[in-house]
Amino acid sequence: MNKSIINFSKALAFCFVVITAISCSDDDDNGTKEGVSCNDGDFGVTLSAPIPGSTEFSYYTFSVDDVMSGTITAEGVGFEQTGYYQFTQIDNTIYSLGGLDNTNVVGFSQNSGGCLEEFGDVSFGDQVSDFVKADDNTLVSASVSRTSDIITFRKFNQNTLAATETIEVQVSDITTEPETGLEYTGMVISGDHLFLSYYKMHPTNFTTNPTDQAEVAVYSYPELEFQEVITDDRVGPIGGFGTKTGLLKDAAGNVYAISHSNPANGFIQNNSTDGVISEPVQPAGVLKINAGETSFDADYFFDTVSVAGGTFSNAQFLNNGKLFVDVNTQALTSQVFWSDSPLESAIVDLETKSVDFIQGFPEHTRGGREVSLIEDGNNIYTTVTEENGIFVYQIDPQNFTATKGAELQTAFESGFFKF
Amino acid sequence: MRSLTYFFTLLGLLSILCVQAQEKALTVISGRIISETGEALEGVNVVLEGEFNGTTTSSNGSYKLTNVKKGDHKLKISYLGYQTIEKEFKVNNSDALEFNFTLSESSAELEEVELTGKSEIRKINEQAYSVTSVSTKNLLNSTADAQQVLDRVPGVRILQEGGLGSNYTFSLNGFKGNQVKFFLNGIPMDSYGSSFNLGNIPVNSIERIDVYNGVVPVWLGTDALGGAVNIITNQKNDYLDVSYSLGSFNTHKASVNGAYTNNKSGFTVRGNLNYNYSDNNYDVLADIRDGNGNLLEDNVEVERFHDQYQSATAQVETGFVETSFADQLLLGLIVAADDNQLQTGSTMASVFGAVKQESESVISTLKYKKTNLLTEGLDVSLNASYNNTRTRNIDTLTGITYNWLGETFSSNSQTNGERGDASFLEQDDQDVNSQFNVSYLFNEKHSLSFNQAFQYFDRDEYDRVRLEENENFLPKTLTKNIFGLAYKYQISKKWTTTLFGKAYALNVNSSEAESNTSDDMIPVKVNYSDVGYGLATSYFLLKNLQLKASYEKAFRLPTAEEFFGNGITVLPNANLKPEQSYNFNIGADFSYDLDNDNHFKLGGTFIYRDTKDLIFTMVSNNRPTTNFDNLSKTKAVGIEGTFAYRWKNIFNFSANITYQDITDEADTFFDSYLGDLPNPSKGARIPNTPYLFGGATAGLNFQNVFLEETDLFFNYYYRYTQEYFLSLSNLGDPNEKEIIPQQSSHSVELGYSLSNGKYNISLECRNLTDANLYDKYRLQKAGRAFYIKLRYQL
Repeated sequence: MNKSIINFSKALAFCFVVITAISCSDDDDNGTKEGVSCNDGDFGVTLSAPIPGSTEFSYYTFSVDDVMSGTITAEGVGFEQTGYYQFTQIDNTIYSLGGLDNTNVVGFSQNSGGCLEEFGDVSFGDQVSDFVKADDNTLVSASVSRTSDIITFRKFNQNTLAATETIEVQVSDITTEPETGLEYTGMVISGDHLFLSYYKMHPTNFTTNPTDQAEVAVYSYPELEFQEVITDDRVGPIGGFGTKTGLLKDAAGNVYAISHSNPANGFIQNNSTDGVISEPVQPAGVLKINAGETSFDADYFFDTVSVAGGTFSNAQFLNNGKLFVDVNTQALTSQVFWSDSPLESAIVDLETKSVDFIQGFPEHTRGGREVSLIEDGNNIYTTVTEENGIFVYQIDPQNFTATKGAELQTAFESGFFKF
Repeated sequence: MRSLTYFFTLLGLLSILCVQAQEKALTVISGRIISETGEALEGVNVVLEGEFNGTTTSSNGSYKLTNVKKGDHKLKISYLGYQTIEKEFKVNNSDALEFNFTLSESSAELEEVELTGKSEIRKINEQAYSVTSVSTKNLLNSTADAQQVLDRVPGVRILQEGGLGSNYTFSLNGFKGNQVKFFLNGIPMDSYGSSFNLGNIPVNSIERIDVYNGVVPVWLGTDALGGAVNIITNQKNDYLDVSYSLGSFNTHKASVNGAYTNNKSGFTVRGNLNYNYSDNNYDVLADIRDGNGNLLEDNVEVERFHDQYQSATAQVETGFVETSFADQLLLGLIVAADDNQLQTGSTMASVFGAVKQESESVISTLKYKKTNLLTEGLDVSLNASYNNTRTRNIDTLTGITYNWLGETFSSNSQTNGERGDASFLEQDDQDVNSQFNVSYLFNEKHSLSFNQAFQYFDRDEYDRVRLEENENFLPKTLTKNIFGLAYKYQISKKWTTTLFGKAYALNVNSSEAESNTSDDMIPVKVNYSDVGYGLATSYFLLKNLQLKASYEKAFRLPTAEEFFGNGITVLPNANLKPEQSYNFNIGADFSYDLDNDNHFKLGGTFIYRDTKDLIFTMVSNNRPTTNFDNLSKTKAVGIEGTFAYRWKNIFNFSANITYQDITDEADTFFDSYLGDLPNPSKGARIPNTPYLFGGATAGLNFQNVFLEETDLFFNYYYRYTQEYFLSLSNLGDPNEKEIIPQQSSHSVELGYSLSNGKYNISLECRNLTDANLYDKYRLQKAGRAFYIKLRYQL
């Protein structure tokens, strides 16, 4: 046989080896996920990490047993979600809202085996501002954008997470002022009404000129038709940037509206661009809408500055009917815009108007993000960003003391849950 | 800047000191080189091997080598797409020798020819640079475009968002996007506007594509960081080439290229017309949602319904070639237009039914080239262009959303477009570009070259819908000036070194948010200047084993698009900083001929880069847009290997594989509320970037099948990409991570040429196995597709 042919055959065999080496495996893996992730424990956390080369984060949600010691990391554990997400717990389910270039709503619940199971998949183009419980079977979301002419409400079946209805209402019901957009600050459903708090801001320079009164929009529920805007000039606008706790409902269905009108939570007057922080026109404080009513109670007013020495933000009702709040005691003129700091935490009784600061709980910032607070038996747990890391704190609401717990290896406080 | 002055002065002094007397002329070798069909071959490399004496043939195929010493010599004749001929001869006392050659065409492989430049010392001295030159000689009948040809080059990966005309990102050895610069005949391609891109340059109009790895030669004169791609279009003086291809998804590509030259006066007219159209309506697996956003069914095969693309380009150039005053003096005009519908956002979760982009460009060009201007060894060239591009970015359908079935759902909004706030943005871009090169060859040991690259960009914007957007009324201009000086020293016959320095200057007028508590824009000026330097060297360890190494402190200035956005999918960022990088490359190339018929080639490159302020594409939060931003510190380590084998002209096989590990090395990341925080991703691989990929090509070529003067070829292409993560590799439950799955694609091509290539037909099947292929954020690419191409050339 021709020598060249033999060499050719050898070469061909070598080529075959090379191509086989390159195409080492041909698994037909299309990247489908299982939707179940097991990790012991009745606490749940969402940890986040910035994605290099991106403004996004990856979020990892998993259950954890011990939150009071050691370090909790997402190495090798957790449901991964990439983009920009918010997490909220309603009853025994964690809801994640967010995505890369759209908004996805996905739930995580603990199954009988203690594993976390993913369920539901709803997706839409607008960003969801908040997600609240309406009744035993219904969750309601609101999408409020300072550049849009509509507010979109969606109703979800709480158990299946199916979106059952999309209702759009016009921003022009609330304001027709030029160059004015709405910034969402809170939403509650009480009886047959949905209350929506907001503040008005310039859509591009974010100044908040109208701070002369508190405003809450009232919609009928379950129809979600616009009813009226109720106002009160004892305080400034309700709620602040990012905190979502402008409106709170107690067990009896009374709605409390918290005004903090401070620069640290986004209240910037027109001349503030010159570097001058002006006092808001109206003071801070707490107002009340009694259960079944759609107007502010003229007899109720909680002057937080006089009683607690500052403004309330990041508030959440506890099982004992008291309120956990962050208090900003810094003078308005010294505050840094949008800093959401410096904050001290306290337990407040809205009826007796008493304030008890928690001892051993560090001064902190919430970074303009919603606070995660959970209750387990007699204790409450939350997380705090400190200089050297993010830590869990266990708080005793009877004695107003705090104990430092585990460190969370996360970019920021993303979610903290209890099943 | 002062250190730069010292540096260049030193370089100048060094080169003057090293000038040595030229050796005395002895014998002259001359001759003529033609193809098998008798056609004179221009630009054939004629080299005395192992000596530093070489030239290229002129338009009539003739060559002349002077200064040939007494003794034994080996003459090597090589030309892209043709078989190389070697001839040994002896010079005694004769004054002149004549050798004529007839070259035969080589096989249909995708030939990579190392341009070591030995043959072209008069031309640009690129010996020490790592360059792969892809000849399209044998691809002219292929239905491929420039983009597909490049995707088959080792180390190259093209990430595409969709079908014909869609956005793509080019990556070369761990460098991505604008880190790698594209040139069309030496002119930066970004000055040509959107209708001139890799996807719509037909392969017929291309002569060869040079891919520079790592260090980019000074004469390309730019701030490329990771390499450069120079597409050289057909430089022949007289030809006509007409082709039409038809394929799946209603894809049509038509191209007419031609040139006429009067050999006496040197007057020449050359031009081309290209038209591309595709519906891009390939099937994808998508999630079907109802009006409330509920998932009705996942992974449903649906047809893309809003992705039509069309582009048309007409180009004419006229002037003189090969005259006493210029080798080339050409004035040109290009008119181009394209319409592009947009189907998705940055992921397939958002689907659009009306968003589109339209643009028109008018470009005037000037090319001047002269070798031996005034004195022997002084070469000068100037390339200049003026481009006016008008673009309309349209998202005016309000209150309507689409799902993947093309069904619409309406809302009551008058402000919400499909991609967020409705807009109709008109952009008027003016772009002046010039590249000036001058080089002087002192003798065969020393040469010096200087380059100046200049760009001025000015954009006017007006949004017909968002009239209040004050950003549109603020200035958007960019001025770039880059100076480069390179000194090449031939230390010995085996060893070549190039030392170079570059100076960069950038002035930008842009706008940025007034503060982080406001979206209102105020004008901002950015001024920047710095210097870079480097060294590239190559050494022949053995006759057939070459080692190459280069080191560079390189800068890359942000481009106009990176600063100002593209009006639709890319948002502006006035705060971009130039990227700087320490690049180190080392490589080896080995060739081995087993006998006359079996030829092997083996190559490997190692890369290391330490990059500060890497300019990276970021996907916006909850919006279907991206913007560019800096990544403070990254490190890239990579290796690349290539293997090629050829048996006679009948069979060829080549394979390549690339592994690159690019990691985030920043200690902190910035949070807009909390400031600098420790970076939990430190050391993690940059996500959404392929790290292990390769390809293989095999070809068969038979001559005179069925009829005389015919050619039958069959090619097979394989492309492989290992699974990679969309996010961080170290975190999360391994079963619940978001990935881009492992991908393999196979393509085959069959072609037949008659009358020595005058009439040609070829058939191609891409993605033969109909595999699911993805790029970017899991954007699905086309499944199995068929193309047929007819081509006539004179």
